[in-house]
Amino acid sequence: MKRVILVADDSPTIRKFVSVALTVKGYEIISCSDGMEALEKIPNNKIDLVITDLNMPNVDGFQLISTIRGNDELRELPIIVLSSLGSTEDIQRGLECGANSYLIKPFDPKRVIYEVSKYLN
Amino acid sequence: MENHSNMDQVFEKLGELKSFFVFGQKVVPVIQSIIDFMRDVVPLMEYVNNSIQESASKIPKAASQINSVTNATEMATSEILDIVDAMSMDLSKIKNELADLKNGFFNQRVALESYGNQHPNLNGQFEALQSGLSIDELETKVVSLEEIVKKIEGDSNNITLSLQVQDITSQQLASVNHLIQSVQKRLSKLMNDLSKKGPVDVSELEQEDENTRSATFNPDARYEKSPDKQELANELFNTGQKTSQDEIDKLFAK
Repeated sequence: MKRVILVADDSPTIRKFVSVALTVKGYEIISCSDGMEALEKIPNNKIDLVITDLNMPNVDGFQLISTIRGNDELRELPIIVLSSLGSTEDIQRGLECGANSYLIKPFDPKRVIYEVSKYLN
Repeated sequence: MENHSNMDQVFEKLGELKSFFVFGQKVVPVIQSIIDFMRDVVPLMEYVNNSIQESASKIPKAASQINSVTNATEMATSEILDIVDAMSMDLSKIKNELADLKNGFFNQRVALESYGNQHPNLNGQFEALQSGLSIDELETKVVSLEEIVKKIEGDSNNITLSLQVQDITSQQLASVNHLIQSVQKRLSKLMNDLSKKGPVDVSELEQEDENTRSATFNPDARYEKSPDKQELANELFNTGQKTSQDEIDKLFAK
C-alpha cells in the first residue's frame, strides 16, 4: 500500500517539484495550495506525512503545524517544512511549532526523498 | 469740552486709518506677488495632477505585465519539469536494461567457463570462441554507459534544483507587485486630495492582485545554493541524524 504525503505550498511549481521527486519513489501525493485546504483534506485522507511551506494564504504553515500538533489524533504525524525563510528566528519558530525537519528552498530533491524516507521507511 | 474730546477721537481714528493705508501700501505688493505665484503654480499643480493620474492609470498595466511574466515562467518551468521527469523515467529504464545486460554477460561467462571445463580438448577453439564473443569488452562498455547514465541523472537533478529559481523570482515579483499596489493607492489618495476629480479606479488593480498568488511572498527570498542555511537548520533541529549533502549524494549514487 502506498504511503500518502500531503504537500501544502501556494507555489504550483514547488508542488510539482515535490510531487515529481516523490511519486517516482512510490509515494502518493495529495497537493494543497494553502493551510486551510490542507486542514480540510487531512481528516478525509489517511496521511502519513506532511510537507508544508510557511508563507501561505488563509492558514500559513506555522498555523497548520500548530493545529496538527494540537490534535490528539494527528499529534505524531511527521511534518517537514519546505521554506525560503532561512533565518535563525524562522527556523527556530518552525521547530517550536513542532516541525520534524526543516528544508530551505532551493532544495535538492534527493534531500526531500531522504528526509521523507527517514520518517516513512 | 465734549467737542474737544470728540475731535481727539476723530484724530485718533484718522491716525489709525493712515496706519491702515500705510500698511495696505506695504501689503499690496506682497498680495500681488502671492497672486502671481498662484497664477504660476495652479497650472503647474494641474500638470502634476495630470502626471500623477497618468502614472497611476499605468500601474495596473505594469502589475498585469508582472503577473504575466510570473505565469509564463511558471508554465515554462512546469513544461521543463515534465521533460526532466520523462527523461528520468527513460534513464531508469536504461539503467534496468544495462543491469540486465550485465547479468546476461555474467551468465554467459559462467556458461562459457562451464563449457570449457566440460570440454578441455578443444585445441584452441575455446579461446577463439572466448575472444570472438568479447564479453569483457562489451561489459566494459556497459559499465561506461552506466557511468554516463549516472552523470545524466545528476545533471537532471541539478536542472530540477536550478528550476526552483522560478519560485524564488515569483516571490520577488509578488513583492514588487505589492509595492506597486501601495504606490498606486498612495497616488490615488494624493490625487483625491489635490483635485476634485476623484481617485483613480483601483478595482482593476485589485482584480489583478486577486489573480496573483494571494500576495503571500517572502520579500527576502534569494536563490542561493549555499548549504550554509540548510546546515543551520539541521543544527537547530538536531535530530541526531545530521546528514551532509555529500553523504546524501553518496547514498543516492549507490
